[in-house]
Amino acid sequence: MTIPNMIEAEGLRVVCEDGYVALSDVSFSLESGSRTALIGANGAGKSTLLLSMVGVVPYTSGVLRVANAVVDKKTFSELWKTVGLVFQNPDDQLFTMKVVDDLAFGLRNQGLDELEVERRVTETLERMDIIHLRNRMPSRLSLGEKRSVAIGAVLAMEPKVLLLDEPTSFLDPRSRSLLVRTLASLPQTQLIATHDLDFARGLCERVIILQKGKVQAEGKATDLLSDHSLLIRCGLELAPQF
Amino acid sequence: MIASLFRAATRIRTLELQADRDTFIHHLHPLVKMAVTLLFLVFVISFDRYQISPLIPFFLYPVGLAILSETKIRPIMISLLTVLPFVLFIGISNMVLDRQLAFTVGRIPISYGMISSVSILLKTILTVSAVLLLISTAPVSVLAEQLTRLKIPSILVLQLMLTYRYIAVLFEEASSMVIAYTLRSPRKRGIAMRDMGVFLGNLLLRSMDRADRIYHAMKCRGFHGKYHTRFLTRWCWKDFLFAGFCGLTLCFFRMVHISLWLEQLTGGLR
Repeated sequence: MTIPNMIEAEGLRVVCEDGYVALSDVSFSLESGSRTALIGANGAGKSTLLLSMVGVVPYTSGVLRVANAVVDKKTFSELWKTVGLVFQNPDDQLFTMKVVDDLAFGLRNQGLDELEVERRVTETLERMDIIHLRNRMPSRLSLGEKRSVAIGAVLAMEPKVLLLDEPTSFLDPRSRSLLVRTLASLPQTQLIATHDLDFARGLCERVIILQKGKVQAEGKATDLLSDHSLLIRCGLELAPQF
Repeated sequence: MIASLFRAATRIRTLELQADRDTFIHHLHPLVKMAVTLLFLVFVISFDRYQISPLIPFFLYPVGLAILSETKIRPIMISLLTVLPFVLFIGISNMVLDRQLAFTVGRIPISYGMISSVSILLKTILTVSAVLLLISTAPVSVLAEQLTRLKIPSILVLQLMLTYRYIAVLFEEASSMVIAYTLRSPRKRGIAMRDMGVFLGNLLLRSMDRADRIYHAMKCRGFHGKYHTRFLTRWCWKDFLFAGFCGLTLCFFRMVHISLWLEQLTGGLR
């Protein structure tokens, strides 16, 4: 039995205003419910790819399908209902006066009633183990706490596709383990841009390797992450084991 | 200077955090609080620049509101101290420009410039404290939603709200830049004038970029120009009671100069 694809990208190309080609002919597909790591050295185009998949950075050419529907200029504005993006820097995402309001922001935009908003917010805060931050001001939190809140703010919206940009950065080991467990328990299709190859190996079944805006390799995580020559060719390296 | 401005901005945000407290004032409809504050501001600034004593009774409003809402006075006082230098500058200018003798207290001549300076000072304390108290009893997002309900164009309300948020972003960026600058130039006090142009230019670009990214993040979570809040607009008898009581009292203070009676007793300030 074949699992339907949740996301299909064909020949995505992103050219910046200054003419720099950030992504070139990027094609891949994500099976429904799968977890895929997007890895690559600094400047490989990981963040650009994620941003282009939610319309923040428009792609110049190519086709993007979400749940078998082609995404075009008209449907991009509705993409937020299906695809949730956790930004690389949590400071770019959190803007309200209280953590609870940030988690509720997307839910209220979905038009949910206050009882449902409250239920989902509390559930997410408990799941992310940040219930104690509920009434804190986001700007006063540590980077790790901000990261957890930012992830929670997107998780609360229960998108079908979850895009995460460097989710483990700023997290302490305990929060990192909790994040792995949380993401592993989610039914959503996940595409996770990360430098943390151990994290990718522990969580994702598949890996896409980007280099200089192009897909260099795509396949099973166990195969690609044990191919040291490929990793080194792509400017990547597994952390030394202590 | 920038560091103190940043602290002032943080204090305002801290004040806004108090808006979720559980008091009679906090439970009032935000529209009522906005209307009463607006009435208060109009009445206070409507006094002639040489009138001081009629302003005194108006202090009852912020004092009463602070007590009833259990608002911490310290952040309000410190915020007032931040604006005080600007007011003093205007006041001193008035004293220099308007030296006409009004009266004497003993042998000390009191000019109209001095009277108007005190009037400006009192009006500033009253108006700024009233606005800060409004923010500390109703979040800005809720107030913005009420402005939309009053049919004020949503684009204007949104501009107002995002500007308010942008100021916080601006100060956060400024704070990081000042720290980075100071750590690499420990002998300098503040930012050298020759670096100021580059500093301000970078600050503008950085804060604009960040504001842009925040806006994109908001759009990714379904923001399309309308900011929803958790406030449920329900009117109750307390709203009408508060509006009626405050409205009538403020009108009374504006129409009837209670202070005249005191002036007759003390000989008058004018």
